[in-house]
Amino acid sequence: MTASEILKMMPLIIVLATPLITMLIIALHRNHLTTMIVSVIGLVLAIIAIPYSKALDLTKIGELLIIDNYALFYFLLIFTATIAIIIPSYPYLEMRFKGNREEYYLLILTATLGSSVLAASTHFVSFFLGLEILSVSLYALISYLRQTNEGIEAGLKYLILAAVSSAFLVFGMALIYSQTGKMEFNALMQFFSNSSKLNLISIVGLVLMIVGFGFKLAVVPFHTWSPDVYEGAPAPVSAFIASVSKGGILALLFRFFSQYDVLNSKPLFLIFALLAVFSMFGGNFLALLQTNVKRLLAYSSIAHFGYILVAFLAGNNAQNFKGVEAATFYIVSYFITIIGAFIVVGIFSTREREAMSVSDYRGLYWRHPWLSVAFSAMLFSLAGIPLTAGFIGKYYVLASGIDNQLWTLVIILIVNSALGVYYYLRIVVEMFSQPEEAAETKHPSPSVGVMTGLILAVLTIALIWLGVYPTGVIGAIKISVMGL
Amino acid sequence: MNSIIPYLIVGAIVFVLGIFTIVYKKNAVGILMGVELVLNSVNINFIAFAKFVDTGIHGQIISIFVIILAAAEAAIALAIILNIYRMKATVDVTQLNKMKH
Amino acid sequence: MTGFYIALIFFVTGMFLVAVTLLFSRLLQTKKPSPDKYLTYECGELPQGGAWIRFNNRFYIIALIFIIFDVEIVFMFPWAVVYGKIGLLAFVEMFIFIVVLLVGLAYVWANGDLQWVKPRPKLEHLPKAKGK
Repeated sequence: MTASEILKMMPLIIVLATPLITMLIIALHRNHLTTMIVSVIGLVLAIIAIPYSKALDLTKIGELLIIDNYALFYFLLIFTATIAIIIPSYPYLEMRFKGNREEYYLLILTATLGSSVLAASTHFVSFFLGLEILSVSLYALISYLRQTNEGIEAGLKYLILAAVSSAFLVFGMALIYSQTGKMEFNALMQFFSNSSKLNLISIVGLVLMIVGFGFKLAVVPFHTWSPDVYEGAPAPVSAFIASVSKGGILALLFRFFSQYDVLNSKPLFLIFALLAVFSMFGGNFLALLQTNVKRLLAYSSIAHFGYILVAFLAGNNAQNFKGVEAATFYIVSYFITIIGAFIVVGIFSTREREAMSVSDYRGLYWRHPWLSVAFSAMLFSLAGIPLTAGFIGKYYVLASGIDNQLWTLVIILIVNSALGVYYYLRIVVEMFSQPEEAAETKHPSPSVGVMTGLILAVLTIALIWLGVYPTGVIGAIKISVMGL
Repeated sequence: MNSIIPYLIVGAIVFVLGIFTIVYKKNAVGILMGVELVLNSVNINFIAFAKFVDTGIHGQIISIFVIILAAAEAAIALAIILNIYRMKATVDVTQLNKMKH
Repeated sequence: MTGFYIALIFFVTGMFLVAVTLLFSRLLQTKKPSPDKYLTYECGELPQGGAWIRFNNRFYIIALIFIIFDVEIVFMFPWAVVYGKIGLLAFVEMFIFIVVLLVGLAYVWANGDLQWVKPRPKLEHLPKAKGK
């Protein structure tokens, strides 16, 4: 381990050190605000370290990690998203949780570390470690509100299913290892590209690994945990699962297959295409039936990851990176919108319960005009309406699909987008409709903290900025994906 | 002892027992035991492959991490199960059905 | 495979011997049951209550803490094996590892989880404890 390697890893090291320091601070003096501020400072320092790390030339750290522009781009995305989730968590926890609130930040920071290790991983060992750091922290985070029935129920469900899925994943790794004797992604993909060596055992191994990926991304048919977990988990944690956790896995998925042409490989293309089609239809149809906003967002997130898989299929390897580019842009816009939406859900939660029913949002415009405008912007973006980031993202995904003549998938995607518009607009209509009498007493007005309001405003502006002028971000994504 | 087959057979038996336990147990702790069995069967496989397929020791390294994971998972899981027991006085997973569509 | 056949023969022979002994004792024994014979300790302590009681939660907490710190030893065995070859770097790495563990220990200690009787946390906003 040389000095320049340590410098290169600085963002990761800072994110690793922050929970340790936070832990010491908790041991010395327990204070909710201090803990929150220290964790935000740690993440900001990690973001500041990213350009310095980028300036260094070497990329490979030992056998396990590779910190190239792609990894650094995802680091930036993950750290920023975590800051946007941590700050609104403070008023949320103050309101809804009695007990030790400080450990929440420890767990979020370790989960962030796990997710960023995934983005930089190029070896089964670091993949496994990152994944498990992420999911073990998530078990505790989901059941963090342990005085609520839903919280611990969701925690146990996620625990059992995630444990089983990661057991499948490592079993798949073992099977692949048995055929190749290697664990590095590039070496594996070279092995698989030679299709004469692709025998039954390695295909079974790959399928088991895809089960593990699919579970974490919550694509149909591995989605059953996601509505329950989104509903039971605290709103900021739901935002975290939907954004940071899935983003890390997706970054890894792109890197894992980056040397392998999925488009021209029969079995893998079929598997991923089926996953994408099932997720789009399943997610959207189930979302249509929902009246619970958190469950609705869960099902819609299933559908969105179906769209992302279409982009992934349309171009994932060194000859043809259009798809991964489109998918990465889609993830950026999805991060912004889903975090914003869950922040709004968090703001409207009361001491007793979270604002989950669609009727809770009835007439919101007449009580909180700004909040309802921000929430509408998020929902419009999720629906993919022009002038929002979601529209540009969907446009890129479609363009990459059309480039590669994936007509069936493209048509299914368009049909599903139309379905999606309906249920997002239902919430918007509800917000702008006239409230019935005595609604004021039924929904006590929440007060929005300065910092939370600021984060929400920044997210909304970013959303519209990306929708109007996406060139800058797309350029950054192009550069970062190039070296994959 | 120079054949990989016995290791694979033991690994497969433990794996099937683990899956069977996960599917049939209603007790949350029992399900966890099933998960641990599956992880251990993976360990057996990894170590066998490290001996017979790989020239290095990657398989042994990853198996150490799997052991650590199993412990961490068990710790968190027991903590969650304790909380469930405090609230519901049962650890039967079929009783956890408060959330439905 | 010969090693496995030897093990198999050993296993079968062992089972056979145990079965024969048990059968022989069953044939020879006389049966005179009395309540005293069914006690857990045939002489000495009288057992009180059933064995299926609720254990104190503290057992679980202590066990959890133990298992977390205990398993880390796994990393030290391979470290000790290669220590001579790597030298100072290995020392520094293990030092960092131990420091991380110590931070965890400090945290657990400060929370009072190492004591058998946990001091009640002075959380003024905590509602009055339910039950128990």
